[in-house]
Amino acid sequence: MPMKIGNENFSERVGKGINNSFMRGAVAGAQDNIGARRLHAVEELGNWEEWRSHGEEIRQHVLENLDYYLEQLSENIANRGGNVYFASTPEEANDYIRGVIKKKRAKKVVKSKSMVTEEINLNSSLEDIGCEVIETDLGEYILQIDDHDPPSHIVAPALHKNKEQVRDVFTEKLGYKKSSDPTELAWHAREMLRQDYLTADVGITGCNFAVAETGSFALVTNEGNADLVTSLPKTQITVMGMERIVPSFEELEVLVSMLTRSAVGQKLPSYVTVLTGPREAQDVDGPEEFHLVIVDNGRSKILGTEFQSVLQCIRCAACVNACPVYRHVGGHSYGSIYSGPIGAVLSPLLGGYDDYKELPYASTLCGACTEVCPVKIPLHELLHKHRQVIVEKEGRAPVSEKLLMKAFGLGAASPTLYKWGSKLAPSAMNPFTTDDKISKGPGPLKAWTDVRDFPAPNKERFRDWYKNREKGESKS
Amino acid sequence: MKVTLFATCLVDMFQSNVGKATVELLERLGCEIDFPESQVCCGQPAYNSGYVKESKEAMKKMIQTFEHAEYIVCPSGSCAFMFHEYQHVFKGDPVWEPKAKKLADKTYELTQFIVDVLKVEDVGAQLEGKATYHTSCHMTRLLGVKKAPMTLLSNVKGLEFTELPGKEQCCGFGGTFSVKMSQISEQMVDEKVHHVEETDAEYLIGADAGCLMNIGGRINRQGKPIKVMHIAEVLNSRTFSFQ
Amino acid sequence: MTGTIQNRESFLNNIARQLGRDRLKEPLQKPEWKYNPQDKVLADATVDDLVEVLESHCEKINTTFITTTKAGLTVALNEAVKNYGGGPVVTWKDERFTHWGLNDLFNNEWPKQGLEYHEWDYTSGDDNIRRAEQANVGITISEVTLAESATVVLFSSKDRGRTVSFLPKTYIALVPKSSIVPRMTQAAKKMREMHQDGQRVPACVNFISGPSNSADIELQLVVGVHGPFKATYILIDDL
Repeated sequence: MPMKIGNENFSERVGKGINNSFMRGAVAGAQDNIGARRLHAVEELGNWEEWRSHGEEIRQHVLENLDYYLEQLSENIANRGGNVYFASTPEEANDYIRGVIKKKRAKKVVKSKSMVTEEINLNSSLEDIGCEVIETDLGEYILQIDDHDPPSHIVAPALHKNKEQVRDVFTEKLGYKKSSDPTELAWHAREMLRQDYLTADVGITGCNFAVAETGSFALVTNEGNADLVTSLPKTQITVMGMERIVPSFEELEVLVSMLTRSAVGQKLPSYVTVLTGPREAQDVDGPEEFHLVIVDNGRSKILGTEFQSVLQCIRCAACVNACPVYRHVGGHSYGSIYSGPIGAVLSPLLGGYDDYKELPYASTLCGACTEVCPVKIPLHELLHKHRQVIVEKEGRAPVSEKLLMKAFGLGAASPTLYKWGSKLAPSAMNPFTTDDKISKGPGPLKAWTDVRDFPAPNKERFRDWYKNREKGESKS
Repeated sequence: MKVTLFATCLVDMFQSNVGKATVELLERLGCEIDFPESQVCCGQPAYNSGYVKESKEAMKKMIQTFEHAEYIVCPSGSCAFMFHEYQHVFKGDPVWEPKAKKLADKTYELTQFIVDVLKVEDVGAQLEGKATYHTSCHMTRLLGVKKAPMTLLSNVKGLEFTELPGKEQCCGFGGTFSVKMSQISEQMVDEKVHHVEETDAEYLIGADAGCLMNIGGRINRQGKPIKVMHIAEVLNSRTFSFQ
Repeated sequence: MTGTIQNRESFLNNIARQLGRDRLKEPLQKPEWKYNPQDKVLADATVDDLVEVLESHCEKINTTFITTTKAGLTVALNEAVKNYGGGPVVTWKDERFTHWGLNDLFNNEWPKQGLEYHEWDYTSGDDNIRRAEQANVGITISEVTLAESATVVLFSSKDRGRTVSFLPKTYIALVPKSSIVPRMTQAAKKMREMHQDGQRVPACVNFISGPSNSADIELQLVVGVHGPFKATYILIDDL
């Protein structure tokens, strides 16, 4: 699927999310559970703020010198016999990959989890030429066989499904006959997928980090699926977002350590695999042929702008797990494969404001995302910058809001206007007021009073009380 | 010590009790209060909604209004933080950036001022009952004031304190978020009220008028027997039973 | 054989343009990083401290931890394999097995017991993979062992097949005590030094920490998803 998921508008998506009680329970549980694990892991590690600063300096340095590191990476991969293709657009990436598939006359592809391949809609591009594409990450596999249900979380794509739903999908699509026990379900998937690994012609992976100095790249999983995808098929294609690169193994190590702690609170996952080129001449396993596809797809447009820091992201989803808005609306509400705060920042940049103009407002700017980000992306500030762009550059704000804010600008900047406005407020609000509270407010206040009471303006403002007290007329 | 009070517009218009309590409390602690009448709103509602140009006018007015102050004290973490934010808004502006920086350097949230500047940890307050405390996001995360309110509350005689479950979670206020995204805001404030109920507290205490208006408004709407109090009111309590 | 590179120049020129400068052509030195917190982790730990850290983390990742001496290795490994239900067993082809006196177990003892044993032999090609896929136990050796995360590090080669650690139902890693370091930091430095000394970086370096697992269904931990269901580390006191 491409980056955009579904055709409903924002408010419909949110309404659906809010009414999905299983999903909300699952998300809240996951946030609490993973959040606690993350906190424990970073406290146990110690010096976390120093780690964050290190993560940030590495990522900033890479972005500032991105052309250099990508050139070095490509040279080193070619020296080891790998092929590198630079794709500016999804079409270019998909065409190249289809070309490889056709040349190999490949019929079956096994794939390990990759957000960038979702972004470019690779799977359907390959299915269009008659190639079977099998996702091997358990979560992705479940979604794929459930008629391509979209992922709702960057790290745990099937978080929105309960085990009974998974069992029903397995029963319907795979003829599964056992219980809804996650172990039985997972082991069934294991059996199905084992055969696919052994018979696939091509393995496709994403890339957690590429290493410029040696032409290597790293894959991080707990399941071990990426290892089978990269050791059994004879041809391997790896697709990476162009920013996912580090100078050397030393920085790789730091970022992997931070990624897994931030993502799930693990010191390291079961499998971190560092691959360099295709297999060596006499090796038995590993791919004979290796292709790396480096994808831009709108990333370069972010470079050099006030949003550049979003490219520091290492896709750990710690911000997603900390976000109080995501908690209540779930991943599908974002309408993008990138959900949560990182999704709300990134989706409008990659996909445009037409589809994603509401996302920057789906935040209280509480800063929980920024606080947990291992590479110090100021996520809530970037959400705020989006709002500024929407209002000031794009001119997309509603007219009523513009007028209100214009009035605000005048009123707030003028002490006289402010004083008169606030003085008159109680009588203006009088028709709506009972027992010092407003239960059904007019205008924009209605959205407030639909949910909660609004206090009636004080008849004696604080400033009046203060003034009177100064004059000695009133002592409270 | 002369303290210039930045009351905030919410306190001025809707919660004058909080302003009064702040004045009385600070005076009791030996401060002389100055309240410049020309203060307006800090500009946050417009600023956070993306109307930076409009909010800058309010910011300039506030910078001028408080230029003379030695210490600026504000009974709201979020608004105090906004004063700290001005220097970033005016970054690169030769006139206003240095002024904004000076403003930030002398601006304190109320509890932060009492503990860090006045060096007082026990204000001699007394309030009988069970309480819990809502940690506001802007005050805790952005302004970085975490300990001061807890230190002061722990010394309030008669107050039995229970930590609020999920205290790090936003209450769903978020300024204009509460009306722009009221659908989502409602879910957030509901969870917050639910957590407050779990503590069996009689008092929900907070240090930010916005959050309290949100949570309090929901509590009122649902008719829950929980009293919402600003920390200034609690610290100004001298009797065993409030009111 | 050198691979191909396509579309590079326009792609990188565009990046440089976005960054507001010309392409970087001079070799770039990595900066001196301001922060290096990774060097402080377990910095003062002795080897025995590290063994303790390793052992306690094994428990958390569902991995059996056994210590033995060179002399006791044959018995310990035989027992570990029996505990996993016996053969078929597949191992790398590695001189260290001989050095540790395991030849007799592999080539005499096990065949006598009817326990099927296969040593990786690159000349027989894909047959190795078929055997690994049918094996009950895979055995490999850790080059560097990370105490902090209980991780074994494997370097692939023609004699050291990658799939020995992934395809069999269970997995045993032999861990020389001399290979233990505090954390991934030291392994990364070692790999970088290999490269800087002009050695080829292995085509595949695996950092393995316990058995395969997943929490993709309702966040409940399932052990044994694509790779091994169980894992054992045998620490050999070679110091």
